[in-house]
Amino acid sequence: MPGLKESLGQILAVEGVRTVALIDIATGMVVRSAGAAEARFPEAAAGVADEVRLARTALGPGQRDDDLEEIALTGTRSLQLSKVLDTGLGDGLLLFVDLDRSRSNVALASLLVSNLASTVLA
Amino acid sequence: MAVPDVSGSLREALTACAAGGLTGVLRVAGDPGGVVHLIDGGVAAIATPGAPSAEVILLRSGRVSEAGWDAAFTASAASGTSMCAELVASSAAGTGELEALLRIALADAMFVLATGLVEECEPRPSQVDCLLALEPAADFGPLLAEAARRVRVLGATVGERDRFVVVPAAKRSGPPLSSGQDEIVTLADGRRTARDIAFASGRGVYATMLQLARLREAGVLTAVRSGPASAARERAPGTAGPAASAGSAAGDRSDAPGGLPRREKGLPSLPRRTVDARVNVSRTTPHRLLRPRSGGDVGPLGAE
Repeated sequence: MPGLKESLGQILAVEGVRTVALIDIATGMVVRSAGAAEARFPEAAAGVADEVRLARTALGPGQRDDDLEEIALTGTRSLQLSKVLDTGLGDGLLLFVDLDRSRSNVALASLLVSNLASTVLA
Repeated sequence: MAVPDVSGSLREALTACAAGGLTGVLRVAGDPGGVVHLIDGGVAAIATPGAPSAEVILLRSGRVSEAGWDAAFTASAASGTSMCAELVASSAAGTGELEALLRIALADAMFVLATGLVEECEPRPSQVDCLLALEPAADFGPLLAEAARRVRVLGATVGERDRFVVVPAAKRSGPPLSSGQDEIVTLADGRRTARDIAFASGRGVYATMLQLARLREAGVLTAVRSGPASAARERAPGTAGPAASAGSAAGDRSDAPGGLPRREKGLPSLPRRTVDARVNVSRTTPHRLLRPRSGGDVGPLGAE
């Protein structure tokens, strides 16, 4: 059975994807990553985990029938998708995908990454 | 970017084990100390009384039921296959999910081990003898880099042996808590440390310390003041105080120089130290944390 590295590597095949990582939301730790990652990526990943925590607060932690699913951050040159993977452990895991915006379609990338996301933890 | 040197002697021992491709254990004497299980020089598992293991996290969090665990254990013992393989085969956990859990538990245990007191490291070749081993094993460098990042994030906000109680007014009128926070608030009774809460809830020690820091900042929790004896030790020259290291909270320790550990009134007994009797190290040795390091950076965790 493929390990996390191989599973994340499949997402690299999506057009425009530069980096993909699995992040522990509770600690902000990069559990595993694939693709190009800069030396300061661990600090950036912790920031992404904080974004998820804040977004969950904005949604309202008391609303049990609603939970955060995805955050899409659009820059002038990049597109970052953060998909929450609920595992029943801690605050869950985050599938973080960094894309080259000039080579990506936001909706299509989100759809393709969503389809592959379910296989990462399987 | 320079990485703070967390526990230099542990780094040296792990470097030697990796260079030699050791399969066996690295016994770390100290506080809390522990055992690092190695496969071909990589870190496969860490057992330490200072942090919950992957087994504790799986069971206490309710992610795997007791019945599911027992069934996998029985099947593993009967067939000789690994516990990880049995958990996946019985659909108790996914392959990727289990690998993620093992890596998260490893990082938490390494954080506790590396920021604690390391007196001696003794490598011993042996067969792999741990229930849940990460295979292929992880490089130690990213684990120590992650431990250093955690020390930087925590600063002096919360020590693993700090104790907290709920501020009654804040509990009544404050904003709603997340599902993880309300469990921690329930467990924060002024007697449990961050480590105790981590074990009880099936969360990592670092994740628990982060939540405690946030809850204190939000005014939901307040730290319990140490007794007079602890306060005196905090002021004693040559002893590390809570502000000296986020992960040690050394001022709350009751093993004063020359004396036996004492249980303080109103507080639980102290955790047992993992110490090699042959080692004669001064009890006043401060924890080695955040020592600037001139060496190069270590790559991102997970990008091995």
